[in-house]
This record gives sequence, C-alpha cells and structure tokens, in this order.
Amino acid sequence: MKRNSITLLIAAFMLIATFTAAVATEFPSKPIKLIVYTKPGGAIDVFARKFTAIAARYTDATFVVVNKSGAGGIVAIKYILSQKPDGYKFAAVTRSNIGKIVSTGGNIDTNAINWMGLMVVDPEAIITNRNQSVNTWEQIVADAKAKGGKQLWVGPAAGGNDHIMAMKTWKAAGIQARWIPYSGGGKSMAALLGGHGVVYVGNPQDVIGRPDLKVAAIASEKRLGGQFADVPTFSELGVKGLDNEIMWRGFMAKKGIPAEAEAFYIDLLKKVNSDPDWKAYVEKGGANPVMKDAEEFSAIIEADKTEFGKVLKELGVIK
Amino acid sequence: MELFDSFSIGLSVLMGWKPVLIIIVGVVVGILAGAMPGLSPSTAVALPVPFSYTMEPALALILLTLIYIASNYGGSITAVLINTPGTPSAAVTALDGYPLTRQGKAGKGLGTALFASTIGGAVGVAILILFAVPLARIALKFSQADYFALALFGLATVASMSRENVLKSLLAILFGLLLTNIGIDPISGVSRFTFGSDQLYDGFTLIPALIGLFAVSVVFSKMESWTGDARSMEKVDNKLPSIHEFMKIRMTILRSSVIGTVIGIFPGAGATIAAFISYDMARKASKTPEEFGKGSLEGVAAAEGANSSSVGGALVPLLALGIPGSATDAVLLGAFMLHDLVPGPLLFTEHPDIVYGIFCALILANIIMLTIGVYGNKLFIKVVSVPEAVMYPLILAIAVIGSFAVSGSMFDVAACMGFGIIGWLFRRYGFPVAPIVLGIVLGKMVEENFRRAVMMDGYATFFTDKLAFIVLLISFLSFIWPLFKNWKHHKAKQLNIETEKSK
Repeated sequence: MKRNSITLLIAAFMLIATFTAAVATEFPSKPIKLIVYTKPGGAIDVFARKFTAIAARYTDATFVVVNKSGAGGIVAIKYILSQKPDGYKFAAVTRSNIGKIVSTGGNIDTNAINWMGLMVVDPEAIITNRNQSVNTWEQIVADAKAKGGKQLWVGPAAGGNDHIMAMKTWKAAGIQARWIPYSGGGKSMAALLGGHGVVYVGNPQDVIGRPDLKVAAIASEKRLGGQFADVPTFSELGVKGLDNEIMWRGFMAKKGIPAEAEAFYIDLLKKVNSDPDWKAYVEKGGANPVMKDAEEFSAIIEADKTEFGKVLKELGVIK
Repeated sequence: MELFDSFSIGLSVLMGWKPVLIIIVGVVVGILAGAMPGLSPSTAVALPVPFSYTMEPALALILLTLIYIASNYGGSITAVLINTPGTPSAAVTALDGYPLTRQGKAGKGLGTALFASTIGGAVGVAILILFAVPLARIALKFSQADYFALALFGLATVASMSRENVLKSLLAILFGLLLTNIGIDPISGVSRFTFGSDQLYDGFTLIPALIGLFAVSVVFSKMESWTGDARSMEKVDNKLPSIHEFMKIRMTILRSSVIGTVIGIFPGAGATIAAFISYDMARKASKTPEEFGKGSLEGVAAAEGANSSSVGGALVPLLALGIPGSATDAVLLGAFMLHDLVPGPLLFTEHPDIVYGIFCALILANIIMLTIGVYGNKLFIKVVSVPEAVMYPLILAIAVIGSFAVSGSMFDVAACMGFGIIGWLFRRYGFPVAPIVLGIVLGKMVEENFRRAVMMDGYATFFTDKLAFIVLLISFLSFIWPLFKNWKHHKAKQLNIETEKSK
C-alpha cells in the first residue's frame, strides 16, 4: 500500500514535471516587445500597431510596441542586436533603414539579423500638383527639357529612397533636374503644394486625403487598384527599367532566436498577411501586401546595400 | 449659417459624461505633462497615442489635441517657480517669471502666465476656426528665402536680450549655433562632428540641453555659494495680478497672441521662435523696457501669449492641408492615420463631427484651463516654500528623470549634466544662457532655408524676393537699434561725467 502510494506520488510528480516542461517550451509565455524606430505617431509606428491589432486575432500573445527612436533606425536595430536572442523582441523595419546602415559607415552586420519577413511593398511614385500647369508625365519631361536642368524636384533628405528614385528616373527618361531636399515628406509636400517645386517623389499613400496632389507615374509592373486605377506605370509611358522601384516594410529579429519562436513568427506573419482586413488596410494606402520569407528578404537586403553603397558614394555621403 | 450648423455637429460630439471627462482629463494631463521637464508637447501627445487607439476616433483626437494646447501652458509653471522650463518655449517665460518668484511674487508670475495662455489659446483657436483654409494657402506661398528671413529675424532678437553686454549675448548665440552643426547635414546627408557616435547622429537633443542650461546650472551655482542654512527660499505671495496690472498688459497679451498664431502657421517655425519674437516685440513696445529680464509681467505675458496661441496656428496647416506644422502636429497626423483618417480638406466634408468636435473642445478647454489654473496655482506655489536644501536636490533629480524620459537614453542625461556645467560657467562669468537656446532652436532653420533658397534661385533671391528683402532689412534694423541706443546711452553718460569733471 505504502509502495503504491509512493509510486503514485512519483507518477504524479513526473506528470506535473512533463506538463510544466511542455509549458516552458511553448512560445510565447510572456509579452513580446515590438520595437519601432520612430516616435509614436510615425508612419512605421502606425504600421506596427495595425499589425499587432490584427495579429491579436490569431494568437493570445501580448504585444507591447516600444518606440526606440534615433539615428534613422540605427538605435533600434542596435538595441535588438544588443539583447539576447530569446525571441521576445522583434522590430519593424523599412528600406530606409538599410540606407542609414550604409550611410553611417556599416558598423551593423546585416548577417547577424534574421530578416523574418517582408510584408508590404509601396511602389515609388512621381507626384505632382494638379493646380500647376505641369502635372502629367509628358508635361514633366517637356518642362524639364525646356528648363535645361533647372526643373526642381522636392523630397526628403539626400541619399534616401526617394532621391535615388529621382536620379534613376532622370537617367531612364533622359532628362536633368535638381533635387531640393527637405526634412521629411510633410515639408516636401508643402513645397509642392506651394508651387516651389514641380515634382515630389514619394509613395501613393502621400496623395490620399490631399486632393491637390496627384500621382503622375508609378514605378510598378502593374497598375494599382482603387483611386489609383488611372495612374499609368512607367512602362506604359515608354520609360524602361522602372518597373520595380519600391519602399518595403517588414520585420526582423536577432539571429539565433529559438526554433519555436521562429516558427511562431513565420506562422503569424503568414496569417496576418492573408487576413482580409490587413489586405484592405495595406491596399487602401496604395501599397501591396506581400509575403517574402527570410531567404528572399535577405537577398533584397543585399541588393539594397549594394545600391545605397553605390549611390551614396556617388553623392559623396560616404567614402 | 454654415458655420453654425457645423458647430452644432461639433457640440453634439461633446454631449454626455464621457466626452466631458475626456476634455477634463486632456487638460489636466496636458498641464501636468507640460510642467514636467523632459515631456515636451510632442512627447506628451505621443505617450497616450497607443492608448487612444481603442477609443472612438473623435474622442481620441480631442484628447490628444487638448493635451497639446494645455501642455504649452503647463510648461510655464515650472519655468516660473523653479526656473526649469517644462517645454522649450517656456524658456522665454522663465526669463521674467523666475525673477518674479525670487522677489516673492510667484503668484503674479503664475497668474500672468495663466491669463496670457488662456487668452492666447483662445485667439489662436478663433483664428484657426475662422481662417484655417485661406491662411494655410497663403503660408504655402512663402518661399525658402522668406523662411530664412523669418529665422534671421528670430536670431536678431538676441540684441535686445541683454542690455549690459551685447557681446556676451552674441557669443552665447554663436555657441548655440555652433552646436546645431553637430549631427547629420540636413541637405547633403553627410555626418558632421559626430566622431562616429550614433548618439550624436541627430545632434544634441534640445530638451536635455534646455534643462541643463536653465535648471541644473542654477543648482550648481547654489552649490557653489551654499552657506549651509536650510531655510526655505523666501516669503511667498500667492496673490494673482490685480485688475489694474492686468489692464496694463492686455495689449501685450493680444499682440503676442496674434504674433504667436501667425508664426505657428509657418510649418517648421513653432512655439519657441514665436515666444522669442513676441518677447522682443513686447520689449520694444514697452514703456518700461528696463524691467525686462528682472521680473516684468509684460515679459511673462508676451512669452505665454505667443506660445499658447501658436498651437492654434500650428493646427492650421495640419487640419486644412494635412501638412504637419510642428513636431507635435506630426504625432497628431500619426494618430489620425491610426484611426484611418487623413487630415486635410476632405476631413472637413467627410468627418465634420471630428473637425468641429475638436474646435468646440478647444474652446471649452481654454475655459477649463483657466478654472484649473486659478485653483491649481495655490497648490503649485507651495513648491517654492520647500526648504532650499530639499528643493535643489529635487530639481537635480527631476532634471535627470526629465532628460532620460526624452528617449530613454543615458547619453541625454550625461548631456544634460554637461550643459549644466556649461550653464554654470556662463552664469559665473556673466554670460546669458537664453541666447544659446535661441541659437539651438533657430540654427537648423536658418541653415536649411538659406541653402535651399540658394539651390533653387541663387544668391540674388534675397534681394529680388521682396518680402524676404523687407524682413531681412527689418531684422537688421531690429538688431542694430538696441546697439545704437546702448551706444548713445553710453556716450551721454560719458559726456555727463566729462562735463561734471570740467566743472
């Protein structure tokens, strides 16, 4: 009798032990921090919060959005890389972070990063002011040729995505113009609205809610839907080589996170990507929801690094 | 009639206990956050953004907008009482507010700040409601050369900041301007003087510098002259300004409210520049300019009237065009987007409940702010009766927390202490610290707009652009005039001495 009860006790103990062990391996067992590289209210902050709101439908995990702003994302990425890879921290990233990694001298090893998934692609857009006489692509080209290199294009800081897009466009269309950088998209759009420039380079979402602005050309293979259905692509306009100029948004973590954490994120990203509300949110902003895995994402990172490196050297930002 | 209909839609949003509660919470949180050094208006608005995500869009945006307007008043409380500007623009309030406290007239300083903030806030909101769309259109037309001229006009106010030694003021502002060279070049993107440090990539953050220069430096000065007796600061009078005193500053308040609103409309100018310019104008228009810097009620009124009214101005480009005019506007824009709304012309027609709900709430907020302020002042003022031996360590603690709060970085805390030492040295050798702040605030604006203007139209633009030319001319005169008066004053003095000698 006594031996029986001891056996029972041991059995019960082992059962509890296996149970707790099972709980311990389940991911996540505590809140997950999603690091955002801007202050609350920035475009990427809105993106991250939308993501957590929709992710809540597919997991019981708690997400806490943490804003770590500074140096155009370098502070946030370095923070992730300084933490131990337990899987409880991941970050929202955009293509402009890669530009910063390159322009700050490349002291961040992109190979130490697990580029978990690229989820949104915003095509680059040539944006004009409806109230100005020059507002279609043909008019831009004619005006640029007439002004002989003095046409003004406005946009965010030199060496960023939009500046690179502008330089590629000039080359592809065989025109010359001048890039006037402002601190941020808002001020550049104000300059276009005020008639201080002819073209603003940005993304389709910049036009939404601003009826004076219009997209004159879009750097994607196919036309966009919704309010952008009548916007021509570059290849339709006869300009070659600008079918896939994008600004992307995705998520990263530190390399070496536990396998179950990695599986959790891969599964979650896929589920959010196929959620109809997520699709609607992304498409409403004139962007495309996509799902590129770590392998494809890493290849994109390498290509971006090469492009930024080349352009920033040409501009003299880096040596 | 149309306006009336819109307002009835706006008011309907505010019916019920929940909206009223939200308005009160917004004002109280705004005042407290503004009073806390380190929480600038943009951070104060940013903190509740995540929390507002689950609220109804109209109420969420009302809450955030009210925090914005109330925080600009809140900043004055700590500026007046302990010389620690809670918000950057309150640095100007501290110039005369703190001397008032030292004279035992804290009640008058706080009261003037409150009245000026409320009236300024109301004027700003009124202009916003009536003229938002046309004003935003006009503001867009100003060229880079005009912005440069405006920024230079702001810099020119330095000449009247210190009578005793203009040279020292000039050196201080140059120091501030030099500091803005640290960090990424705004036009070419090249790193300048960062010495490979990520922390310096965005340059020195304004808030830690401000807390260091104003508050920590005073603590260091006190430490140096510490005698060891643990008495409280001095007798404190919580009397508000009298009706007579109020009547004397009413024109100053009105003038600074209009200046603040107009400057607020320019994207990128903002509350701090508005406060400096308005302070300078008030001084030039004053019958008693010699009192400025020594506890002039007019000085406090000019600073607070301008920074509170600039909120209404800054909301003009945001609501009318969807273009953020200030750092706080940018946060608000994000909050709109979080609720799937885009501010701009379409918002007025598609969501009049939100636009006019915000307008109505802003009007109400000023009334609530006045009520809370009148009663709150009696409470805030008790801070001054804390013994000095407790007070100064407390200021140091607040400075550390405040500078850490900006972005959670120890570098900012170290920078704050560093600026404290610089401020202490400046004070020790009779250099004013306010021009450093002016230099830091305006440096980038001067540089960016100058370089863009030249890139766009060449150097000649400063002469061919009529408005820019006129403003530049006025800046030059407003810079030279105090120097000239000083010189005449000196000469007259010398002449007096000589004539007396010859007698």
